[in-house]
Amino acid sequence: MAEEHNKNSERPVAEKGEHIIARHLVDDDAIKEEKNLVIDGVDVSGRWNTFIVTRVDSEFDRSFFDEIQKTVVGSRINRCWQCGMCTASCTVTPLYRRFNPRAFIYMMQLGNLKQLKKYIDVAWRCVGCYKCSQRCPKQVNPAEMMEALALLIKRYFPEEIKSKHQLKIDEEVKAIYEGMILGHGRLDLANLHTSAMRKMGKTTELLSDKDERGAIFKMMKDGRALSVLRLGKPHKWHKSKDAIDNYLKHTGTLEQEGMI
Amino acid sequence: MGNLKENQAAYYPGCALLTIDRAYNNSSKLVSKKMGIELVDIPDYNCCGIGEMKSKGAVSLYLPLRNMVIAKSELGSKDLVMACSVCYHEFTRSIERAKEDKKLLDEVNYILKEADEEEYVPEGDARHILEFLYNEKGPDEAKKNTVKPLKGLKVAPYYGCLYSRPSMYTFTDKKPGMDNSERPRFMHEFLESIGADVVQYGNEVQCCGGRNVVQDEETSFALCSQTLSKAKKAGADVLVVICPKCAGALDVNQPKIVEKFGKDSELPVVYLTQLMALAFGFSEKEAQFSDMISNPLELLKQKGNFI
Repeated sequence: MAEEHNKNSERPVAEKGEHIIARHLVDDDAIKEEKNLVIDGVDVSGRWNTFIVTRVDSEFDRSFFDEIQKTVVGSRINRCWQCGMCTASCTVTPLYRRFNPRAFIYMMQLGNLKQLKKYIDVAWRCVGCYKCSQRCPKQVNPAEMMEALALLIKRYFPEEIKSKHQLKIDEEVKAIYEGMILGHGRLDLANLHTSAMRKMGKTTELLSDKDERGAIFKMMKDGRALSVLRLGKPHKWHKSKDAIDNYLKHTGTLEQEGMI
Repeated sequence: MGNLKENQAAYYPGCALLTIDRAYNNSSKLVSKKMGIELVDIPDYNCCGIGEMKSKGAVSLYLPLRNMVIAKSELGSKDLVMACSVCYHEFTRSIERAKEDKKLLDEVNYILKEADEEEYVPEGDARHILEFLYNEKGPDEAKKNTVKPLKGLKVAPYYGCLYSRPSMYTFTDKKPGMDNSERPRFMHEFLESIGADVVQYGNEVQCCGGRNVVQDEETSFALCSQTLSKAKKAGADVLVVICPKCAGALDVNQPKIVEKFGKDSELPVVYLTQLMALAFGFSEKEAQFSDMISNPLELLKQKGNFI
């Protein structure tokens, strides 16, 4: 009877695994689901027979754990007990569901680079609001753990950064920040903004900003955009710069990554 | 430079406040002076790292702590006052990390020595101007100085993230006299003391996405439009901020946010100290309202006899 029912009706069958909570954390090939299945005369088609294949994490390397723990931002990785308070309080997660600090920290603890690689496109989106660090019951400081994650990605997936547009922009903007802060000791915000826009290919937006209310236009007019020229560099900053460069060259940790 | 006098405090201006956000810098100084404290810039400051240098190990501590060393050696002050919440975060973070981790402190002092600077000794605090004015002078002092109460002006205080979070650095809830981390109230009290009506809207400590505002406008716009429209819906005339980065996201980018999310997100943004300066009798020129992109000047003219 059930077979007959299947043949005649056109009831919609849900997409494979559609009803799994946190579906984005489960791989496609780990979900088993038959669209049409009858067992002992009982119709268990679709979601009635869904199951997730038991996962055995074998591809991990605990040496990453030590590597992360040696950095200033990742020093508390050992404290995390995976309660998920960070993800629950995250500003970014509601906007990008695949951004999951709890899961990222787990993958970092295991050193599961293969799994981490799948999230490179969202992993950089932390806005640094520190809600997670405020509420973390173990003072793991997940907000800074995301910085450690960025270091890990930079070290092990440089090619991915180059090939993904937004990641590349993020890296380039960070390089502008770094060049100004370490190079000049002070930040030229107007210059930072215009250089970043040029990097993003928004030159036309810059030039066509004729609107009286346009921020750049206004700041050019009242002189704020150029006021940084009066700031100059801190006295004997070159000594600080040399000392910083020298330090970074010899840290021997992940923090050495991405020096310009 | 000599040591500070009794009614003076060492002040870290920071890059934003000396350039784009000069209105916040100048009004902070006006307000502090009126309340009896003169803010003295430390000489030869350097950038705090603005949250972008955190993955550089001891260097991220070196940047703020070099300024603490200067405050001590040039002005004889262990404490340093600052108005920018991002700077405040970088300073408190560095001070706490240096206190708890001897090895890290040694590394910072190694860089300081190489750079021909004096040694950093963990003592003294970084203080946000809001907490500083509250604890040193308080809302009563602000009320005493108010000559033009902002009667009828509905204000929505926006604290943002780093003024009250994370308490492992800011010591909110942890140290007596500090603000509450989830429900801060110091700005509320100051605004009430100058006669404004404080509006409750629910996004007081939400994030503006300011950190990624350059490279990820999309996220920041979405977060900002939530805050602006919620405050507007609650009846606010202005959103009051205490951080140049929040102002960058909510004020400077507002024309673009309105273009994308509509007029619901159109709300003038001002700094707390600008409103305080106005209430203390300074002119709108001195408070530099015209520097704000979201045009609070027009509203303040319409709303009453504030200007």
